[in-house]
Amino acid sequence: MTHVVSSLLVAATVLLGSAAHAASLSAEFVDAQGKPLSDAVLTLQGPAGKPDPAPKADMDQRDQRFAPHVLAVRTGTQIKFPNSDNIRHQVYSFSAAKRFELRLYGGTPSDPVLFDKPGLVVLGCNIHDWMLGYVYVTDDPWFGVSNDKGTLTLDQLPAGHYTATLWHPQAPDMQPLAGGDFDIPAAGLHRRFSIAVQPKGDDVPAAPAPSAFGDAFHKAAHE
Amino acid sequence: MKRPLSFQARIAGVLILLLLVVVGAVFVAVKAATQDAVRKQAQAQLEVGTRVFQGLLEMRGKRLRDAVQLLSSDFGFRDAVASADSATIRSVLLNHGARINANDMFLLGMDGKVLSSTIDQIPEGSPFPYYQALRDLKSHNQSMLIVPLQGTPHLLVESAVLAPLPIARVVMGFSMDDDLAQELRSLSGLQVSFLSVVNQVPGQIISTQPQPLYDSLRGLMMKPADDQMQMTEHGKHSYLSARLNLGNTGDSNGDQVVALLQSPLDQAMQAFAPLDEKLFWITIIALVASLVGTLLLARSVSGPVRTLALAAERIGEGDYSTPVNLERSDELGKLAGAINSMQSGIAQREKQLAHNALHDGLTGLPNRALVMERLGSAIAAERGVALLYLGIENFRAINDSIGPEGVEQLLQVMGEQLQLPLRPGDTVARLSGNEFLLLVHNAEVDAAVAVADRLQRLLLKPQRIHDHDLSLDACIGIAAYPANGDSPSELVKRAAIARQDATQMPGRLQVYEDGRDLAHQRQISLIRDLRHAARNGELMLHYQPKLDIRNGRVRQAEALLRWQHPQFGTVSPAEFIVLAERTGSIQLLTNWVIEEAMRQLAEWNRRGLHVQLSVNISADDLLDGDLADRVSDLLKLYRVPAEQLIFEITESAVMREPEHALNVLNRLRECGISLSVDDFGTGYSSLAHLKRLPVQELKIDQSFVRNLDETSEDAVIVRSTIEMSHNLGLKVVAEGVEYEHSLRLLERWHCDTAQGYLISRPLTAVAFEAWIAKSHRSPSLMIH
Repeated sequence: MTHVVSSLLVAATVLLGSAAHAASLSAEFVDAQGKPLSDAVLTLQGPAGKPDPAPKADMDQRDQRFAPHVLAVRTGTQIKFPNSDNIRHQVYSFSAAKRFELRLYGGTPSDPVLFDKPGLVVLGCNIHDWMLGYVYVTDDPWFGVSNDKGTLTLDQLPAGHYTATLWHPQAPDMQPLAGGDFDIPAAGLHRRFSIAVQPKGDDVPAAPAPSAFGDAFHKAAHE
Repeated sequence: MKRPLSFQARIAGVLILLLLVVVGAVFVAVKAATQDAVRKQAQAQLEVGTRVFQGLLEMRGKRLRDAVQLLSSDFGFRDAVASADSATIRSVLLNHGARINANDMFLLGMDGKVLSSTIDQIPEGSPFPYYQALRDLKSHNQSMLIVPLQGTPHLLVESAVLAPLPIARVVMGFSMDDDLAQELRSLSGLQVSFLSVVNQVPGQIISTQPQPLYDSLRGLMMKPADDQMQMTEHGKHSYLSARLNLGNTGDSNGDQVVALLQSPLDQAMQAFAPLDEKLFWITIIALVASLVGTLLLARSVSGPVRTLALAAERIGEGDYSTPVNLERSDELGKLAGAINSMQSGIAQREKQLAHNALHDGLTGLPNRALVMERLGSAIAAERGVALLYLGIENFRAINDSIGPEGVEQLLQVMGEQLQLPLRPGDTVARLSGNEFLLLVHNAEVDAAVAVADRLQRLLLKPQRIHDHDLSLDACIGIAAYPANGDSPSELVKRAAIARQDATQMPGRLQVYEDGRDLAHQRQISLIRDLRHAARNGELMLHYQPKLDIRNGRVRQAEALLRWQHPQFGTVSPAEFIVLAERTGSIQLLTNWVIEEAMRQLAEWNRRGLHVQLSVNISADDLLDGDLADRVSDLLKLYRVPAEQLIFEITESAVMREPEHALNVLNRLRECGISLSVDDFGTGYSSLAHLKRLPVQELKIDQSFVRNLDETSEDAVIVRSTIEMSHNLGLKVVAEGVEYEHSLRLLERWHCDTAQGYLISRPLTAVAFEAWIAKSHRSPSLMIH
């Protein structure tokens, strides 16, 4: 994801750099206990910018997990669902923002899926109940997802006044939260955001523990 | 035969009673133990069953939950649920619910509201009543809810519908029906009943128990919660019941589901019924066996005991010859042996006793009883028999010299000797210490005398016993049947009298003479009365004057004892003095005589009549050491000069205990009393012996004087005695002077004193006094 974002950011910087003074926002996410919070989504609404005409993104499936776990995209993004595992997956979503189903497949399906409505799309795999991924579709021009250290840097921002919106999979009712209004000076801004995350629901199934049979099978399959 | 309670019956009774007690105790113990075991078993069964029941229910819950979870994962189902189309959702619920035989299906939103429902009781849009309870299941580690639903208990399980995040919850209800109850019963082994209670109103009962018991089951299940096991009765059966409250909704409005688990006791009890039956038969067999055994044992004891009792009875009746035959080695056998030895012991001792009863222990000779019996039988058979009554005269002396042991030996030897002259069939019996009785059959008196003579000669032969040579002085009295009587006791008495008489005979042998037994009776009376004669005033002294031949005067007299017996009249001294000497009462008489003589002397002295009195002293008196003192005291008492007394003693009296007698005589002489030798010439004493005696006078026995003649031998004796006496310095008195010429001869031979009927017969004191007075007036009368 970092690679995707950075490429986006690089593109934005190239595009915006000539228009205005580029500023950056260094955001830090913590939970109520002050621990770094990863997978937090930050979207900014501020001075008008030029949106990417045909944004694209990938949601990989690796080690029977969605990678990244949380993907933030702009409305209208075409997302590919490559399968890096050597087993097949059947990715689906019953979310109102995007209801779809990719039949059992391996490798990268030819057609990307268009996410044309803002909102949250929860991804699942029909044959691996524990696989869970989130696609956060937003209309805001600037957005990012915090890394493992709970930090996120948005570059090439025009200095100005911004309104921030926060989201996290464990946010209450999984609803977006207001992140506050603030000005980002040309010199950049470092800001700390706190999200009171809720514990993971017990309804969510966990990945099965690797069994001896599974190990043996895995080994046999790779030799 | 009257046997109120035989030994046999008592043993049997006691044993059977004991057995009954034991069996009863065993029965009670077994019953208690089995009941306890049954109860424990039922309890264990109930506990295990309850756990099994709970486990099964839990398992079922898990299975249902898994089924529901599987169901809820079905993509189509999720797809349908995600469609949010009410009709679709309802249809998918019915469809999928039917797949796992669910009775009721609900779909709940994540907020607990009912999205879809298959029962009208819980309409769509209403909050699901058990939502929170379902939510709490996980934290309670449970997988299902048990709730009353439409009057029956239901199992409720839920599962989230994941898309992939939970978007709804599907809840399915499974009614707990008879099939479930039966299944639980078959697995837990318990009777299973369910009942739902809503607002204290019981719903339909579901039970594996038969229909008729439902009411009582319902009653039990409606009781307030009590998890304790309890005994309950349903119909005619008893159960150990446990009541479980299955409801876990946490409701406080009284809705609950109750399960009743029951372990039937009767069945378990029935398992022990064969044991009871076996116990019963064991008891019966043990009773019969012990009865038979007891009877056999008792018979084996009582039979021998009866035999022994009969033997004891036999012995009691005197049968000592039949032994008890009991071939046993136990205690009874030993008892039989003991009885046998007792029997022979008794027989032996009885024989001994019989022998002892009829025989003398020392000599083994027949005793008085046996000899009397034999005598009796001889008399009964009218067979002539002679009785020899034999006594040993010197027995006392022999006893003194050889002691009792020697005497015993002597008597044994005697016993043998006495049998020597007898023929077989004759009897020697020992009657008392030194007396024997011999029966000589078919013998006249003459033959008996011959036998007696032989016996005397045999016994006289000296025998050496304990270093003493002993010869026995046997006195024998003879009586004979039929001559001397015809009863045994009479004959023996007469033989004894004859023997008594024999002691006085020189030959020591006397044949019984008729009338001797009357004489004997008189003797016995005299002996008896003699002791009291002095006290009764029956005694008196007569005085015979003694003439001084030289001057023709009387200054002396002999005091002679006279007895006036109240029955027999005057008794001769010759008769009673002998008896007194024999019975030892002579000293009494002598004392009386001495005192009476002194009293008389004192009286006469007072009246001026001075005479010298002679008093006769017996042999026994000379053995009395006190005689001299007593005489001396009396002399002082009556104030009589000793010179007025002369004590006359016989030679034989002195000869019996010469030393002792001499001592007494010397002391008398010292008192001043004159001593005179009486009856001189009849004994065996020598002149040399006479010389030693402190005597002053000699009395020639009247047998020499009575018929004194110038030519007779007596004359020589008398004359030489007078001369000899004078030569020894003794005065001489002649007794029994009855004739004038005798007196003349005595005068010529210078005899000092004469006494006899010629001068005077013995006179009473008064007559004597008168006689003296008369003689003084005319001295010539003294001779005529």
